[in-house]
Amino acid sequence: MFKAVVGHSNDPDSPSAVEEVLQQCASSLAGDIPKAGILFAAIDFEHSLILQQIHQAFPGIQLIGGTTDGEISSVLEFQQDSITLMLFCSDEVEIHAGVGRKVSGDPITATKQAVEQAKAKSTATPRLCLTHPESLTTSGVAILNGLKLALGQNVPIFGGLAGDQSRYQNTYQFFQTEVLSDSVPILLFSGTILFSHGVASGWHPIGQRSKVTKVDKNIVYEIDGKPALDFYHHYLALLSPSMEYPLAVFDQNGDNFYIRAPIAYNQEFGSITFFGDIPDQAIIQISETSYEDILAASKASFMNALDSYPGREPSSVLFFSCVARRQILGTRAKQEYQNTKLCLTDYLPACGFYSYGEIAPIDRISETQFHNETFVTLILGTR
Amino acid sequence: MEIVDYLQEIKELKKANRIIKKQLERSESDREKLEETNNKKECLLRKVIDELKEYQNKLEERSHELEMMLLNLQIMQNKMSSLGSLVADVAHEINNPVGFIAGNLAPAQEYIDNLLHLIELYQQTYPKASQEIQETIKVIDLEYVREDLPKLISSMKEGTDRICNISNSLRTFSRADTEQKVLFNLHEGINNTLLILKHRLKANKIRPVIEVVKYYGEFPLVECFPGQLNQVFMNLLANAIDALDESNSGLSFDEIKANPNQITIHTALIEDTNHALIQIQDNGVGISADVQQKMFGHLFTTKPVGKGTGLGLSIAYQIIVQKHRGTLKVNSVLGEGSKFIITIPIS
Repeated sequence: MFKAVVGHSNDPDSPSAVEEVLQQCASSLAGDIPKAGILFAAIDFEHSLILQQIHQAFPGIQLIGGTTDGEISSVLEFQQDSITLMLFCSDEVEIHAGVGRKVSGDPITATKQAVEQAKAKSTATPRLCLTHPESLTTSGVAILNGLKLALGQNVPIFGGLAGDQSRYQNTYQFFQTEVLSDSVPILLFSGTILFSHGVASGWHPIGQRSKVTKVDKNIVYEIDGKPALDFYHHYLALLSPSMEYPLAVFDQNGDNFYIRAPIAYNQEFGSITFFGDIPDQAIIQISETSYEDILAASKASFMNALDSYPGREPSSVLFFSCVARRQILGTRAKQEYQNTKLCLTDYLPACGFYSYGEIAPIDRISETQFHNETFVTLILGTR
Repeated sequence: MEIVDYLQEIKELKKANRIIKKQLERSESDREKLEETNNKKECLLRKVIDELKEYQNKLEERSHELEMMLLNLQIMQNKMSSLGSLVADVAHEINNPVGFIAGNLAPAQEYIDNLLHLIELYQQTYPKASQEIQETIKVIDLEYVREDLPKLISSMKEGTDRICNISNSLRTFSRADTEQKVLFNLHEGINNTLLILKHRLKANKIRPVIEVVKYYGEFPLVECFPGQLNQVFMNLLANAIDALDESNSGLSFDEIKANPNQITIHTALIEDTNHALIQIQDNGVGISADVQQKMFGHLFTTKPVGKGTGLGLSIAYQIIVQKHRGTLKVNSVLGEGSKFIITIPIS
């Protein structure tokens, strides 16, 4: 048995919101006891209070989560300024939480700690890892590389980086009753869990190809021998670089590309910081999208996941969508989730959030990668 | 309505009020961000349209340039083709009068021998010639005439032979190719080309003669378009001379003499594949790796405007690779020289 239930409240008052969420969950649980949960909360809530309430309602629960820039669930669909909680019950799947602290100081050690903490409680081999890490203090690629190292190649990792409603000041991660920053909370699933996933973006390169000529991990200093900011100013006039206009980074053959979104820039040095690392001498192009392309991609991501689900009856679905998608979609943001619902005949508990970077393998066989501007679908179940 | 219901309704209204207030705050900041995103999109698209326009202009310019070049080429081709037949005609016309001279030289030699013999007889028979005859013998320096006249005749023979060779080379070189490949002696083609280029190979004020070293292997006649192959030899040999002249820049005559300009032509039969191999090597300036990558491309030239069309090597490449299903490769080291390697199937 593997059961997932969801609660979702858009009440800005934290005590009322958590009460409402817990009521919804309790009613769907119908007496089952949840083992673990994942909480997605907007930045303005009293997170500590919410976590304590959840623990009071379900003592001993393995809980992680973090702050977001938009929330999704099968209860209230797309919302901003809301909290949504997904709880998991199972007698055949083990779920354990772990956390790594001060990840910007030493990503390898922090992620190792998180994995070891979760593994210590498990009796079976981990099958998949969910995470909701920090986004602003270090590069998403560094965190992911640490997790991959600690988990080994056979455990795929899924999740999204924490957000703060595009303020880019502070994000928070949740571990049990703690509200943390600069940390990596994870949930490790082991046992007979079945899962499938899909990833799609919808962004296309446009304009002229250029070359990254000076870079330090995720900070690009020069493009075509000139300050990186000049490249953006060429296309965006004097407006600042932002996630909606990321770079397409081409592979060595120049055929395939992945997307890297800017997070901050330094006027003095002319440098731009990205959510993920960019290789030196990489060929890049600015990229853009339209709402049709975004919606087509999220639908494709969901359909891919649904079609490749190895069982007959999925129990739940998680979504990790990039905040730039929500930004461009505007009032159409609700369609991302609604379109996925149209592909289903039966009710499927869903929960997700808009993130500052997504984590998932490109396909079933390749290793986990860090993405920007994507819509990641993760379907879970045991049957 | 019961008090409990009222309380419930008030609770719900309060919640609705909180949500609406929050949504209002949100919608304002969302609207601002959306406007900014749209501004960026507008800038981006405007810039990309500008870039595309610029690109289009460049393409139009390029296409105009290509059209002009094609026109010039057509004119040049016409000129070359009429020049070709003119050269063939002139060579033929020269052959006739040269034939008269060459043909008459043998009887002239015989007559002269006879006359000299006759004079000798006279001198033996009448040793005491008249005063007038003796004086005339002295004035015309009969002894010298007797000695020099045969040399003069053989020099005239040498001259007519050379004229014949040049006119034959010109005829062979300028002949129009037929639609079908014909059997051709590649060595003859290379030799003819060298003969036509002789004026560029010989010594001048700046440098001594360019040494041409030939290592000809043995292979049968090759089925090919001889005119086209001659064009390739001409192009590669002329480029080699250009590269040598360039390498002489800044050197004195004696310095060049110490390390002489050299073109080495090596031919051989590649038995495995039944191909003829022709290598044309010079010790000139060499070609950079960057240029090597581009030089068989269309319209690529390193020569100053008016000196090169940028078509020579690309046409040579087409002739060897497409028309003859052979290969044309280059090995070159900057400052040391270049080696062009041609292979052509023998049949």
